[in-house]
Amino acid sequence: MTFSIGRRQFLVGTSALMAASAFAGPAFAQDKRMRLAWWGGQARADRTDAVSKLYAEAHPGVTFDTWWNAFNDYWPKLGTEVAGGNAADVYQMDYRYLVEYAQRGAIAPLDDYIGKGLDLSDFDQDQQDGGKVDGKLYAISLGANSVAMMVNTKAFDDAGVERPTRDWTYEDYKSRAEAFNAKSNGMKLLADGSASEPAFENFLRQRGKALYTDGKLGWEADDLVDWFKLWADLRAAGACVGPEDQALDATAAIDTTMIILKKAATSFANSNQLIGFQAVITDPLDMINFPRAEAGSGGGHYRKPSQFWSVNPKSAMLADAVDYVSFFVNDLGAGAALGVERGIPCSKKVRDALAPTLDPQSQIALNFVSNLGDLLGSLPPVPPTAAGEVSTQLTTKSQEVAFGATTPEEAGPAFFQEATDILARAS
Amino acid sequence: MTARSLADATAAPAGGRAVTPSVWSRIWSANGAGYLFLLPWFIGFFGLTVGPIVTSLYLSFTNFDLLTDPKWIGAANYVRMFTADPKFAQSMRVTFMFVIFSVPLKLAFALAIALLLNRGMRGLPIYRAIFYLPSLLGASVAIAVLWRTLFAGDGVINDFLALFGIQGPSWISNPRYSLWTLILLAVWQFGSPMIIFLAGLRQIPQDMYEAASLEGASKWRVFWKITLPLLTPVVFFNAIIQTIEGFKSFTPAFIISGGTGNPINSTLFYTLYLYQEAFAFFRMGYASALAWVLLIVVALFTGFSFLTSRFWVHYDD
Amino acid sequence: MTTDAPRLTVVTAPANPVWKIVRPILSHGLLLLASFLMLYPLLWMLAASFRPEAEIFSNNSLIPSEISLHGYISGWTGLSRTFDVFFLNSFMVSILCVIGNLAACSLTAFAFARLEFWGRKFWFALMLGTLMLPYQVVLIPQYILFLNMPPWLGGTASGWVNSFLPLIVPKYLAVDAFFIFLMVQFFRGIPRELDEAAQMDGCSPWRIYWRIMLPLSVPVLVTAGIFTFIFTWDDFFAPLIYLNDQKIYTATLALRTFVDSTAESNWSGLFAMSVLTVLPIFVIFVFFQRLLIEGIATTGMKR
Repeated sequence: MTFSIGRRQFLVGTSALMAASAFAGPAFAQDKRMRLAWWGGQARADRTDAVSKLYAEAHPGVTFDTWWNAFNDYWPKLGTEVAGGNAADVYQMDYRYLVEYAQRGAIAPLDDYIGKGLDLSDFDQDQQDGGKVDGKLYAISLGANSVAMMVNTKAFDDAGVERPTRDWTYEDYKSRAEAFNAKSNGMKLLADGSASEPAFENFLRQRGKALYTDGKLGWEADDLVDWFKLWADLRAAGACVGPEDQALDATAAIDTTMIILKKAATSFANSNQLIGFQAVITDPLDMINFPRAEAGSGGGHYRKPSQFWSVNPKSAMLADAVDYVSFFVNDLGAGAALGVERGIPCSKKVRDALAPTLDPQSQIALNFVSNLGDLLGSLPPVPPTAAGEVSTQLTTKSQEVAFGATTPEEAGPAFFQEATDILARAS
Repeated sequence: MTARSLADATAAPAGGRAVTPSVWSRIWSANGAGYLFLLPWFIGFFGLTVGPIVTSLYLSFTNFDLLTDPKWIGAANYVRMFTADPKFAQSMRVTFMFVIFSVPLKLAFALAIALLLNRGMRGLPIYRAIFYLPSLLGASVAIAVLWRTLFAGDGVINDFLALFGIQGPSWISNPRYSLWTLILLAVWQFGSPMIIFLAGLRQIPQDMYEAASLEGASKWRVFWKITLPLLTPVVFFNAIIQTIEGFKSFTPAFIISGGTGNPINSTLFYTLYLYQEAFAFFRMGYASALAWVLLIVVALFTGFSFLTSRFWVHYDD
Repeated sequence: MTTDAPRLTVVTAPANPVWKIVRPILSHGLLLLASFLMLYPLLWMLAASFRPEAEIFSNNSLIPSEISLHGYISGWTGLSRTFDVFFLNSFMVSILCVIGNLAACSLTAFAFARLEFWGRKFWFALMLGTLMLPYQVVLIPQYILFLNMPPWLGGTASGWVNSFLPLIVPKYLAVDAFFIFLMVQFFRGIPRELDEAAQMDGCSPWRIYWRIMLPLSVPVLVTAGIFTFIFTWDDFFAPLIYLNDQKIYTATLALRTFVDSTAESNWSGLFAMSVLTVLPIFVIFVFFQRLLIEGIATTGMKR
């Protein structure tokens, strides 16, 4: 076991206690205590613990140590544990951080285990691919989802405007703004999605481009100019919320989205979040695809791994950890315990067994993801390192446009340059 | 003056034992008591504090990314900070604004309320508790939701302003005002310095007031001639601590902007930026360099305050 | 109890009798108004805790449309342990921290304030310096330090991680410069004639510390005690990093698990338990602040 900035550099420090510490070090292994870590709420914890219990029953002698926290608290804690060489054997990974962790060797490549402890025979190919970095499988998807718009159906009915359909373009929303606003009491049709990287990506894909290709930007400055202009038009037409309202939603956390704050009748979100959204609003919600860029343009959506299990390469029980992951995604009992809380299961037989037992909201999500049709495109290549920073920067830039500090024509090239610089610095 | 005489007193027994005290026993008698009292602190300092601090200094010269071993890159982090990082400048600006406005306001409020609450009036303990309440809430998630219900476009503040026909902006999410809502939050949580002022007021010997009363001094004069001078060590303490805490301020921006520092980086506090660099963008080395630059800025401020303190802080020793 | 005996009976009030009546009304009026501003958050939180979950984010009013106890029930029982476990943990950690902090910091502060020794200013400056480095960058080295605590210091396979020790032990070693500095300032405000006299009588530094300094410093000790308790109670970052097992979570850390911004959350549970979590520290504050006020009366500080 090595500690990444562990003993060596540390002993440079003057601490007497630290010198003594060289004698101690984590020792797992002897009693098969598997350590798990994930983010989520209590609902997810209950389901995960139920799977662990099933696993322990089938594998006497294995016990579990787990910790979990909310998403925002999970990452600093996980980073600290990895830095200390004390990370869990199996830990949950997000699409956003997958590359960072994989390229830095903090999660183990699993290719060698496929068919030997890791059963992927029934596992959707696109979900396998979603866990690959540089051609190697680093993470096992725990559920597929897709970007989706939450729709407040009551708001549409009350305003006497027909509910959005899968064919609606941004233009269609805009053309209905006047009718909607006349009766909506200040509510707008759309949240301002100009800052939303998933929305921008969806738009790019409909134009046959991508956010990233080969670790570089997969679009040109003009695409972003068009994107910012599109939103400037929507804003001017009163089809989307104003910049002050949109800025209330800093991180797309459910409780600050425009639909929950009743500022907009729709919000950009993910298909597995319907339950979370519905819990904090009385009006009934439905789900629809992101608007089309032009009539008939498709391919913007893709089935994205909602989250993964990854295995710690320094785990003293690597094979057991892989076995647990395999059990987690393949076992029918585990599938029943998990439901679609993490997303639609990626194993077909688990999915089929589960379908009839779902509650209405989960049913909606399942139907949506299963029936994307022409909206569905192929999985994009894995984003490069520092993609997260680019995404943060997009929010800031779009706010500058929305608040009038800059124009779409200036912001497009400026952001293109910033993003290129960020990627260059990271590589 | 210093405690020389006290140390000599400790020396007395040791000195008395030996006819000609050795060098060691003289050193011991001059310093022993002090170092004995400091023993717990020394253990903590050398055992727990110094190591991590020195390590962070070392990391500031590396490219440490949390996940792999750090590599020495010399002063590159510091060079980037001062030549190629607009966010560094922005976060410094935000933080200075925050400190300049929130610290004096907070202290003024705390002192005024403490003076008010230090007098004989019915129900004062209840008021004291109520004024401390906001500080009890700390960095609770609830504060974020609350601040939004107060300062959003359709929030309570604007409902109130509407009574006077004023249509207010969405204070909390408009880049022009958002920092002010955080300054207000800091000022609103003035409980800690208030309590420290109260404790300070309580420690002023009663007989000094009695003497003043015999002389028939006016209230105003008593405040300026007795209360304030005797309170200066506490004022000094609060000013130093609030300034340091102000520069290091993290949680208000973190909970209210969800850790983003938006809109348009208008609430990008220095330590918030540092946190993003460290944990969201995997640049702990750079974050450490940021931290050490902050330390130097704060140390300069504090050192300067200590230099001026001899002219206005009144100690009884 | 002479709690609120007038302290500033210094000057005769202005002769105007009307002013005598108007003044207290005015003072109370102002205080009441200010109190409302201070209380508003708690009232709002209280309202939110009784509100149906679906209304929390779309309703600004202080009065819930209907009273629901759902938040209290789901909050108390909703996690893998009932909430009393977290309260007990919080109490234990906070009380142990108060004891350690008061003992260690007052010893240190006494040395800095009253004893003369070589390097005093140097150590004092270093001590203050530790206050100035943002916590975020010492977090990882500190974690590694605690992770590697050897068995003879009570370390397990993962050192002190996943125990209360990283939260408590530092307090017994006076690592919190804030409190040292606070006490130094107050100790220096105590008239020096007192210990000079004691010293003439042959008192050792220990006796001066124990018999003179501490009794005369009740206000600052109470202040430091209250603060330590509240800061420890409210702290979530250190517990987040060091505690893994939910059965040793503190209340504040447990609160943060109610809500995940990306998934199903328990908002009404969050607000209900937030209210309950503020209550103990509020009660403790109300109770101990009396000590702060009585401090002078009982020690009879006179020159």
